[in-house]
Amino acid sequence: MRHPSPHKPRFLEVRRPVSRRQAVLSAIAIWVLFFGIWLIASESGMVNPLLVPSPVQVFETTWNLFVDRGFIGDIGISVWRVVLAFAMASALSVPLGVMMGTFPAIEAIFAPFVSAWRYLPAPSFIPILLMWFGTGEAPKLALLFLGVVFFLITLVMDHTKTVRKELIETALTLGANRKVTVLNVVLPAVLPEIVTAMRQMLAMTWTYLVIAEIVASTTGIGAMMMRARRFLKTDEILSGIIVIGALGLLFDLLFKAAHRWLFPYLQEKR
Amino acid sequence: MSSAVLHLDEVSKTFALAKGRELTAVDKVSFEVERNSIVVLLGPSGCGKSTVLRMIAGLETPTGGAITLGETPVTGPGRDRGMVFQAYTSFDWLSVRRNVEFGMKINGVPAAERRERAEHFIRLVGLSKFLDAYPSQLSGGMRQRVAIARTLANGPELLLMDEPFGALDAETRWQMQELMIDVAEQAQTGMIIVTHDIEEAIFLADKIVFLSAHPGRVKEEIIPAFKSGGRIRSKEELVQTPGYAELERKIMRLMREEGQHE
Ligand SMILES: Nc1ncnc2c1ncn2[C@@H]1O[C@H](COP(=O)(O)OP(=O)(O)OP(=O)(O)O)[C@@H](O)[C@H]1O
Ligand SMILES: [Mg+2]
Repeated sequence: MRHPSPHKPRFLEVRRPVSRRQAVLSAIAIWVLFFGIWLIASESGMVNPLLVPSPVQVFETTWNLFVDRGFIGDIGISVWRVVLAFAMASALSVPLGVMMGTFPAIEAIFAPFVSAWRYLPAPSFIPILLMWFGTGEAPKLALLFLGVVFFLITLVMDHTKTVRKELIETALTLGANRKVTVLNVVLPAVLPEIVTAMRQMLAMTWTYLVIAEIVASTTGIGAMMMRARRFLKTDEILSGIIVIGALGLLFDLLFKAAHRWLFPYLQEKR
Repeated sequence: MSSAVLHLDEVSKTFALAKGRELTAVDKVSFEVERNSIVVLLGPSGCGKSTVLRMIAGLETPTGGAITLGETPVTGPGRDRGMVFQAYTSFDWLSVRRNVEFGMKINGVPAAERRERAEHFIRLVGLSKFLDAYPSQLSGGMRQRVAIARTLANGPELLLMDEPFGALDAETRWQMQELMIDVAEQAQTGMIIVTHDIEEAIFLADKIVFLSAHPGRVKEEIIPAFKSGGRIRSKEELVQTPGYAELERKIMRLMREEGQHE
């Protein structure tokens, strides 16, 4: 019987990190598999091409949408909505969440309010938002804002509460007042967690964007997809999905890069 | 007027527990800390050492008695009583230098003076090579030295330490204990150190305040007489000094007695 050599790890090793090379190859492999199955299914006539166009056609359509049909304008509007609504939600959530996580008196005021709203699905506000704000940008921005703000407040608060008591007490015995304690100790201590929470919540903003644009918009990626549906253009719908996915990924990467850039001291450990 | 910087006068602490029950953790504790002296709080686990120290720091309010620093009653935390905790408290987002400058910065010390003092105290704890390192790059003992330098650089009248070396291995512990003797002489700061390590207590203390448990009371104040010629600077020297073994036995006996009550 030969024993497995200690120098040649098996494919499955418990919690053993993979090399960069293996990570990249694995990532490519899963996507090749996905597109391969899609391609075979559509080209072999196993599925109705009207409902599932081939990936080649979808990419051609995507190209045409960009070059001839001004798709970039729709994308621009969608991105602008997400960024603006998310910025407004963050501008409220981060300070409020930090204050709630630091001062139990502030938590006692806002927590009962915030938790209640968190359980109301934001899309249930669409009819009333449309009545209040009409058909302009306001109801869409309001939906995105409502969709994330209460979750973000709660996440920021919870992370703030995990800042260790000893850090705060150290600041106090060094002579810090409340303001210094919050701004120079609590805030920098939770900031990495806040940025991570923002990254997660940005993904949720995209979800609400698509809902808003499908239900009540004539512009943006979601609206483009609804127009395509009317003319049975499945390839355009799939283009829209791919672009939304790519944009989500892009923002995620941007946030990760920002995280690395803002918090160099965290990288040393890993 | 005595030369004491800190007075505890019948200080008590009763915690309110759930269902209206109460727990008296500290009961009428009195002692004094002389200027620039090292007082060690020693006693079995749960006897209220941390609670006493936290009340001196102003992080906990006594339910009875009074604590006075110089002439002023202690009412809350302040820079005159710097505290070093057992858990690491380095500010991970700041370099070693900025960690040590932190207290001075928030207290408005001008940049040039801040820099100079920080470098002085970083040198004192032997971390000059790591001025611009982040705490996450340092070992546990080094981080604890950063915390000590940070507290000292802030110029406290009293340095309070709660089992500061509890998480360190034996060798690092000795180094840190010897370092504290150096620091006490050079920084001219009074210290109150909490420990339950008898050897550490005898080595560091100018005076040991021995607490008994349930409730925490001062059982005995012990002054290591064999140190009358001055502090001992190394651990080897300590164990060879006449009188050391005897004192260690005496304290072990006290500890035993306390253990038997439980
Ligand atoms: N915040 C608190 N609420 C209720 N009881 C407390 C609190 N803090 C401490 N106690 C109790 O007071 C007593 C003394 O605690 P303290 O932490 O001061 O002991 P200690 O001497 O530092 O012990 P150790 O050596 O284990 O650190 C213990 O019985 C503890 O359970
Ligand atoms: Mg303790």
